[in-house]
Amino acid sequence: MKPLTPARVARNLALLLAAVAAAAFAGVALGPSGLSPSEVWSALAGHADGPAADIVWRVRIPRVGLAAAVGASLATAGVLFQAILRNPLADPYILGVSGGAALAGVAVLSLGASFGVGYMAVPPAAFVGAVATILGLLAVVGPAGRLSSHTLLLTGVVFNAFASAIIVFVASLSGFAEGASIFLWLIGSVSDARADVAGWVVLFLAVGLGCAVPMARSLDLLALGEETASALGVDAERVKRLLLVSASLMVGAAVAVAGLIGFVGLVVPHLLRLVLGPDHRQLLPASALGGAAFLVLCDTGARMFPGGPDLPVGAVTALAGGPFFLWLLRRSSRRIA
Amino acid sequence: MGRVAYSQGPGGITAGRALRASRRAGRCAVRAALLCIALALVGCGAERGDAPTGREGTAVARVVSLNPSLTAMLLAIGARDVLVGVDSFSARQQQAVADLPRVGGLFDPSLEAVLALEPDLVVVVPSAEQRGFRERLSALGIPVAVFDPKGFDDVVATLEALGARVGHAEQAARRAAQMRALRAAVAAYTAHLPRVEAVVVLQRDPLFVAGAATFVDDMLAAVGARNLGAQRGDGWPRASREWLIAAAPDVLVDTSRDPQSAAAFWRQWPSIPAVADGRVVAVAEREMTLPGPWLDRALLELLDAIRPGERARFETAAGLRHVPETAR
Repeated sequence: MKPLTPARVARNLALLLAAVAAAAFAGVALGPSGLSPSEVWSALAGHADGPAADIVWRVRIPRVGLAAAVGASLATAGVLFQAILRNPLADPYILGVSGGAALAGVAVLSLGASFGVGYMAVPPAAFVGAVATILGLLAVVGPAGRLSSHTLLLTGVVFNAFASAIIVFVASLSGFAEGASIFLWLIGSVSDARADVAGWVVLFLAVGLGCAVPMARSLDLLALGEETASALGVDAERVKRLLLVSASLMVGAAVAVAGLIGFVGLVVPHLLRLVLGPDHRQLLPASALGGAAFLVLCDTGARMFPGGPDLPVGAVTALAGGPFFLWLLRRSSRRIA
Repeated sequence: MGRVAYSQGPGGITAGRALRASRRAGRCAVRAALLCIALALVGCGAERGDAPTGREGTAVARVVSLNPSLTAMLLAIGARDVLVGVDSFSARQQQAVADLPRVGGLFDPSLEAVLALEPDLVVVVPSAEQRGFRERLSALGIPVAVFDPKGFDDVVATLEALGARVGHAEQAARRAAQMRALRAAVAAYTAHLPRVEAVVVLQRDPLFVAGAATFVDDMLAAVGARNLGAQRGDGWPRASREWLIAAAPDVLVDTSRDPQSAAAFWRQWPSIPAVADGRVVAVAEREMTLPGPWLDRALLELLDAIRPGERARFETAAGLRHVPETAR
């Protein structure tokens, strides 16, 4: 791999930005109601009103925007978890962090009404759930330096199952279980793009990225091992703590608005690492952009899926991510053997 | 025997076949015996439960209802006394049966709880969730009556059939006649009014609407509205937001859980004619989307929603002072 120069980084990020733009364009142009390209165009240009304008501006664009923000958050969080836990299989969904966030979110959503807490309280609650899960995870599997993949995965699987069970329990207890909407929460969907909570995701994403990107160099050094990093002047504990909180922020916000969307934090960083190399100064912003493009494309595919309107996007990412995860697992276990 | 069965050649094969045939015959005999017992059991049930409908003398006396709509219909025809147990949804919805033994809900009906009540009839709807449960009840010789109140006429017919089964045929017939008459009167009244196009929303996200072949579809037809949801298919189909916006309904009836937020929610898409004209109507009553004896009241409410101001005029014209009292 060639040395990383600012010019190369700028070029790569520009390419990824173009990919986001292309995905967003596809997301706005395509949908189940079959508007013609010219109708979409005139709606975008502001020349149309009526149904076309509503569909383009008030259904598709918010949805594309939310998918982009959620995808960016999940992919960035994936990079951070993989770097801090030094484990290629770390992903907010697989680790159970998303499950913890969803559990807290559902609890607030279904029980909060009786305490006068509204929908706006869900993102902070999901953040708290994500942080609590990470702390619990670290308490169970021991210090981050010597995690075995198997322990980490098993703990994540068990926690996810546990969280799902409690979610269903809490939801049915409170009468929140309007069957289909709890299903959407569990499988992950960006169909209900609400401007007020979408703001949370963008805010949390900005804070998370703002914390993570300046520490990219420390992340690179952490990859060499905590002792080496410390010897090179990295305050490993502080970096880890700060970045785990940033990652949890992003996961919490994403889960609060879109539910449990899996595998974005796994597929996107790994593909980009293969293409661009492991340098976090580039990988972090690249993953944010790549995650945005990936989830927008998945959601567009979900809307266009034949035989039904609005397949939840979580089903599509799982469809793409499941086999990818297995491939990665096989690859990494071969390397150990 | 074993040697013959294993031997080669045509003779051996024949012998093997014979052996298998004789074994099969043996199993058949056992099965036949079991079947006879089962039939006898079912027969016992049939004598009590599956009697031809309409004969007061043979009516059942111990009924378990596994569906809130059927429970409500039984209450509406004055058959509270024959109910010995209900599902938990019924118990929550209907004050009159809150103190009856509960036998579980849609997903978790308890076979044991039903058996313990020694019912001579269990009334159910053909839900996919309870298919196995219905089969086990039947196998145990408990008479099971399945009702499928999909359209408005089905609901009224179910009311009558229930009345006949539990010995309240007269009341049921009276109630059924009222419902049919009201529907006919509303349809006649709205016949000269201009058609409107409407969508009845059951749930906003994911979006579910009332489709074709439902009592909502029938009631919309009665008030002179075209049900756009019928484009999506029968029953209670899913739809996308884009579809709803493109369908451009004149009236949008929102029956989802949170009626206060309906107007604000749909205002997000101002191009929908119903939104532009202020014709988004939130109906808090779950009665609009559940089949039951309350459909006449729901019909009047739908008339009010689809054609503002016409309800009072209709009631005066039809000589209705008040809606017939129904069980809730």
